[in-house]
Amino acid sequence: MATVTIDNKQYEFEGRPLLLQFCTDRGIEIPHFCYHPSMSVPANCRQCLVKAGTPAVDRATRQPKLDEEGNPVIQYFPKLMTSCSMEITDGMVVHTHRSSELVERAQKDNLEFLLVNHPLDCPICDQAGHCPLQIQAYKYGPEGSRFEFEKVHKPKHIKLGPRVMLDGERCINCTRCTRFTAEVSGSHQLTIIERGVNNFPMTPPGVEFDEPYSMNVIDICPVGALTSIDFRFKARIWEMSSAPSITATNAKGSNCFYWVKNNEVLKITARQNTEVNDYWLPDEDREGYQRFNDDRPHGPSGKTDGGMRPMSWEESYAAAVDVLETADPARVLFVGSPHATVEDNYLLSKLAGHLGADTPVYLEHTVPGSGDNWLITDDKTPNASGCERLGFNAADVPLLRSKIQAGGYDVIYVLEDDPVSSGLFDSNVDAKVILHYYNTTNATLAAASVAFPAAMIVETVGTYVNVDGHAQRVRPAKAVKGVNRTLQMEMGKSRLDQHGTPFDKWYDETKLVDCKPGWEIIPEVAKGLGLELSYRGPKQIMEEVSTALPSFTGATYESMGLVGVRLSDTPTLV
Amino acid sequence: MATNNGAQFNRHPEPTFSSDQLVFTSDEKSAMQGYLEMYPEPEGAIMRGLWLAQEKFGFLPPEVIRLVADELGIPYARAYGVATFYTQYFKQKKGTYVLDVCTCFSCQVCGGYDILHYLEDKLGIKAGETSEDGLFTIQEAECLGACGSAPMLQITNGRYVHNLTESKVDSLVSDLKDGKMPAFESVTLPQDETEMGGNRRDDVESLEYYKTPPVAETFE
Ligand code: SF4
Ligand code: FES
Ligand code: FES
Repeated sequence: MATVTIDNKQYEFEGRPLLLQFCTDRGIEIPHFCYHPSMSVPANCRQCLVKAGTPAVDRATRQPKLDEEGNPVIQYFPKLMTSCSMEITDGMVVHTHRSSELVERAQKDNLEFLLVNHPLDCPICDQAGHCPLQIQAYKYGPEGSRFEFEKVHKPKHIKLGPRVMLDGERCINCTRCTRFTAEVSGSHQLTIIERGVNNFPMTPPGVEFDEPYSMNVIDICPVGALTSIDFRFKARIWEMSSAPSITATNAKGSNCFYWVKNNEVLKITARQNTEVNDYWLPDEDREGYQRFNDDRPHGPSGKTDGGMRPMSWEESYAAAVDVLETADPARVLFVGSPHATVEDNYLLSKLAGHLGADTPVYLEHTVPGSGDNWLITDDKTPNASGCERLGFNAADVPLLRSKIQAGGYDVIYVLEDDPVSSGLFDSNVDAKVILHYYNTTNATLAAASVAFPAAMIVETVGTYVNVDGHAQRVRPAKAVKGVNRTLQMEMGKSRLDQHGTPFDKWYDETKLVDCKPGWEIIPEVAKGLGLELSYRGPKQIMEEVSTALPSFTGATYESMGLVGVRLSDTPTLV
Repeated sequence: MATNNGAQFNRHPEPTFSSDQLVFTSDEKSAMQGYLEMYPEPEGAIMRGLWLAQEKFGFLPPEVIRLVADELGIPYARAYGVATFYTQYFKQKKGTYVLDVCTCFSCQVCGGYDILHYLEDKLGIKAGETSEDGLFTIQEAECLGACGSAPMLQITNGRYVHNLTESKVDSLVSDLKDGKMPAFESVTLPQDETEMGGNRRDDVESLEYYKTPPVAETFE
């Protein structure tokens, strides 16, 4: 096997890996800015310099030259090499800053250069705290600057487009953003303009940077030159917690981090998953996080003689049991949800089965033609394939609507959806409606007899199956009111202290939404109807699903982990 | 040096040319096609394409750059980046004669700035500006590769004027006003004198021998 010696340690390798990537994969840190694993390698920042050499070969004999002790003589390249663009060859010897003072010095000097015209406005910069330039200048840079002249000034706070703001002075011209538009998204909306100290990325005149993936450049910019217009100055990175999860905007289930401060989601950024979204997120996945914070309900409510009134959770369970227990099962319609987790939908189908009602249907939410065959799908829900795999069929809305209108159902049980907006029935429907809902803007609320506030994707634990059959877990990013050990355990894994404790100055109890996950509500209702759904939490539910249903084989919490598992292709009907 | 300031940075300028004017003739189109065939990638043809457009329109406002990009089938942003990189592409309307005075290392040491300031005073405009009669634009240029005959200037991306002195600037300006372009001047270097047996050209109108350039006043 071919070997390479890095800092006097031997490593084996196959193929022709790039040195920087090879080192990064093995935890050998080399400072760098312009290199990005998903894009071409321009080697323009010069931060990743290493000293490298290859075994010298005797020209006459074509044999490796050996020194007196029989070790191969290493012929070093005359100049330091950029590790990002250098392919490793057999016998190569590499010295990073750990074993070469020259390399250490080069990295230090390079950082001094990069900082010559950098405004050093870290105290007011959104990137501070997670800025590769800040971090690497601290670790590898010089103590101070010898540059005492006025810095070159460039345009600041320029709105490149509706979502991305440029600070030209902070830019180090690594070209990651322009390469993104040229190589990844293909919009070609950005280019580096001017030359020398005056250059910075810009749209050509008359062009707005408004492509549907524009905000990815904010993630990959190694400095604070590109920031989110929406998020600017809202919170410092160290005041927020981040939970690794997936987005719910469409059926792709792109991997993301939810950033939370004081129990409110403030931004959503991309999380790498080569199986799903690589390093990218569409802008629509990052926007609309307000629905997790705004218009959220405060506890359950139910209809009594005097109209809708707030109820305690126990009261609301009892009210739901009342409605269901007297109904003729053939006249009860269960509507599952492509917004809800597999676990919740599964429990709903068990409840339906217990009562002898039909298998739940689910409502489709597709916008034909809105998908792009990449990370935006026509389907605007995260779990339609999960519903299909559970054996739910998409509701034939006109057909079902006329049946409901003709009085075909006495009770409609709706899991985390808004059938009135979808046109399944009107708010003055005769049937009694039990509703799990997210936002007070839900139009079906007006028709509900019992309304349960449901935990959203950022507050629950569960499984979603994306359009390609990739099953992925979600984790709670923000806390809900009340005590739920499962949620708290999962939260604990992502720094409970940053979600706010009563000891934090900014902590505000009112930001806790009084809602519960479906896997907590449905078993309570089922219990009242004589069905014990006593699981120790969603993990155990999923264990049962993955063994009971062939369409979910392998989808256990352990195997899904942070990146999910690809399920077999054929959804099997129950 | 021109710095861009956020306030005056205009990302959506009014076009100079109407859509009627923004067309290439069939000859120009076939020239473009020829450029495309010269390179493995269409992007290679961008510099020649921009040059052709500058000859045609006089300068390269954004709409002309976009026209070139469309004609060559390459991204507009790419073409715009290239056009702004090279000072030889004029992004604004310039005077008939663009005087690029070199103020890079060698010329600076030999009085490049003295020449620049003399020219500025003489024409009553600053570097980067165009005289009111539309005849002259003065620009500061980086090394134009004629350090041996510093200080020097270049006229509208073309002819070089070497070994500048104030009187040489005087006569240059009055000649240009009369529409007289200075003759091409070949400058031979000392090493040519000895090693190449003189290397004196006889095919040009004007020949200069290397001589120690005037020492800058500022340098003294
Ligand atoms: S704005 Fe950021 S990503 Fe773009 S070139 Fe500058 S430093 Fe690189
Ligand atoms: S990462 Fe190697 S030169 Fe930028
Ligand atoms: S420095 Fe002026 S031509 Fe080189």
